[in-house]
Amino acid sequence: MTVGAAPDAARGTDTTSAPPAPSAPLRVALVGNPNTGKSTLFNVLTGLRQRVGNFAGVTVERVEGTYRDEAGRSVTVLDLPGTYSLDPHTPDEAIALDVLAGRSDSPVPDVLVIVADALHLERNLYLVSQLVELGLPTVVALNQVDAANKRGVQVDIVELIHELGVTVVPTVATKGEGIDRLRRAISRAHELPRPERRFDMPTVVRDALAPIEAALVAEGVSPHAAGLEALLHITAPAHDHGPAVHDAVASARTKLLDAGLNPESLEAELRYGWITGVVHRAVKDPDSRERTTSDRVDRVLLHKVWGMLIFLMLMGLVFQSVFSWAAPLQDAIESSLTWVGGQVGALIPEGDLRSLVVDGVIAGVGGVLVFLPQIAILFLFIGILEDSGYMARAAFIMDRYMRKVGLHGRSFIPLVSGYACAVPAIMASRTIERPRDRLATIMVVPLMSCSARLPVYTLLIGAFVPALQVAGIIDLQGLVLLSMYLLGTLAALAVAFVFRRTLLRGQTQPLILELPPYRIPSARALATTVAHRSSLFVRRAGTVILALSVVLWALATYPKSVAPAGMADEAAQELQLANSFLGRAGHVIEPVMRPLGFDWKISVSIVSSFAAREVFVSSMGTIYGVGGSEDGAGLPEKLKAERDPVTGAPVYTVVTALALMVFYVFALMCMSTVAVTVREAGGGATGWRWAGVQFGYMFVLAYAAAWLVRVAATAAGWGA
Amino acid sequence: MAEVCGESCPLMACKTGHRAVVVRVGCDGTEACRLRALGLYEGARVSVVDSRNGLLLQVRGVRLAIGAAMAASITVIPLPQ
Repeated sequence: MTVGAAPDAARGTDTTSAPPAPSAPLRVALVGNPNTGKSTLFNVLTGLRQRVGNFAGVTVERVEGTYRDEAGRSVTVLDLPGTYSLDPHTPDEAIALDVLAGRSDSPVPDVLVIVADALHLERNLYLVSQLVELGLPTVVALNQVDAANKRGVQVDIVELIHELGVTVVPTVATKGEGIDRLRRAISRAHELPRPERRFDMPTVVRDALAPIEAALVAEGVSPHAAGLEALLHITAPAHDHGPAVHDAVASARTKLLDAGLNPESLEAELRYGWITGVVHRAVKDPDSRERTTSDRVDRVLLHKVWGMLIFLMLMGLVFQSVFSWAAPLQDAIESSLTWVGGQVGALIPEGDLRSLVVDGVIAGVGGVLVFLPQIAILFLFIGILEDSGYMARAAFIMDRYMRKVGLHGRSFIPLVSGYACAVPAIMASRTIERPRDRLATIMVVPLMSCSARLPVYTLLIGAFVPALQVAGIIDLQGLVLLSMYLLGTLAALAVAFVFRRTLLRGQTQPLILELPPYRIPSARALATTVAHRSSLFVRRAGTVILALSVVLWALATYPKSVAPAGMADEAAQELQLANSFLGRAGHVIEPVMRPLGFDWKISVSIVSSFAAREVFVSSMGTIYGVGGSEDGAGLPEKLKAERDPVTGAPVYTVVTALALMVFYVFALMCMSTVAVTVREAGGGATGWRWAGVQFGYMFVLAYAAAWLVRVAATAAGWGA
Repeated sequence: MAEVCGESCPLMACKTGHRAVVVRVGCDGTEACRLRALGLYEGARVSVVDSRNGLLLQVRGVRLAIGAAMAASITVIPLPQ
């Protein structure tokens, strides 16, 4: 089979006819199994950048893209979440069926594009057989034909078109092959007869289902969708229908049982019965039983001991790279920002405006941009692990361990992603099917130390932990950093355990996971992923954090205090800050934070860091007036020099630094995480309640742990 | 469905290299639905690719990993080697 064949010619399409209403955009929905390259195809088709994954169900967001076809007509493509069938098991799959049956905000698409993996056509045809029953103009993109050909799998396109009754276009999305032909097929799909159910129903089944279909149509479901849904409901009775449908389903099940049929397996038997014939006629697969390279690799990677060891080594490599490879890049960004601050500062006359630009804007954004290299490297690794197919294996070998604390193997991806950022991590937990398993994961993901905590850790470690050599290349600073990460990770597992025995009691869902064949990740797809994630982070830094930096600068600058004549600059700055709006707010909450050893300046920075944790560093920078100036890296020195105005003792000691770090390990100081938890935990009142539980337990943990650290460290005589 | 006669056993009892016909998918509705959609339904043939921890199955040309608990709830009749 070659991509250069002419499959749509077989359908006898006319190249001269134009779509009926060229002014209205053509709405296309893209559906398919996970691991079919659907996201890549979407990117190539529309040019819109989107994350590409190998882990089942990574596409969770609604993503739309647009292109113009040959006739100049605008085509809008909606990328539906990857799904194995239209039985709504997960929120993702429910979305797909709702859109296609016209039950969502999105109108029913004009054309359906089904992405099917040529290498796993047999399994992919299950979804295809469901989708053609919807009767929408349909095109099948037979993707990854190159990989199939390489394995000796030959698909007879003409025969497949004949079997499916829809246009089939072979594509290789990663190389952009077959895309023009796919676009042409999409623009012409409406000219062809509507597809319909491809297999014959036994009379007894048809008779049993007819009342369900009628009841569904009476509820407003289209006749085509009703035929499909009746079959779905026989397998798994639906909840969101009226009593007429329920009664019809119940009596149909009785009829089928009386006829000696199993209602639960009926749909699978009918569809796979048809699929077996199609595959027999259209697919030549000489060595389907032969052990593949992937299996040989899996003999090692899924080994109880070796597999675990390799997994831990990979994780170690990821950590090492994130922290060490990023350093030179960070230095470069830091020094160029200092330079920019100096240049810009010199252009503006001394006064409030200069202070705003240099101390507010450049300092605020600059402090965040510095962490871009780490985020890029982390997402590069996550991308490689996902796109190579290893992530699914990792979930498989981790399942046994995750299960011990009541989490699912699939919880592993959100938890690891939590090291980068809790927001995408919580969104990634959507692939966990059962609500309780999902909620338990969502609840603990923010305990994984995210990249936004890193600035806080590095600032405090750099200032207060000596770089003592411990063993080999490991020093005390690295060890403290590692223990912060370990503390958060262990806490996440422990808290999950507690949740599964209290608020979220119940059995963890058994593991069902497709292990896609290993493949070399495409550099283009990886670059897209990293660029996409990095730009998301920068945009966040550039909007929320910039705005907050400016607000904070204003709160710290006004109202203006007049320093008495002859007062030292340092003291005048201190006085100004103490009397500012920010200082007053800090004084109000100080009594609460005092037991932890935090003064009002730290309290203010903690409160302001609710915008995003990394704001803590820029707030401290603003409060101490160091960011962006020539001594941009001067914050640690300022902190060390800070003295209590009453006692004269240093404010920041190793004890304060440790307590503060431990506080940040646990505290949910991130409004974005709260917002995403509200949405993912069910939205509305339910969502807010879970977000409240999450914020509350994390604050209590943070406060208690920081207090314990202070008491224990003081008792041990540190930081005197 | 009863194309082979023999002792039925839990899928978990099958070892690497074994082939079997599914006779009963005994887990919860949702999981059973998903398994059936993935090709693991009553009457389907599966082969065990790896039985060292959980089960790695070949079902309809796809590698499917399932946990031990789930593999225990699926009843099969082993096919002759």
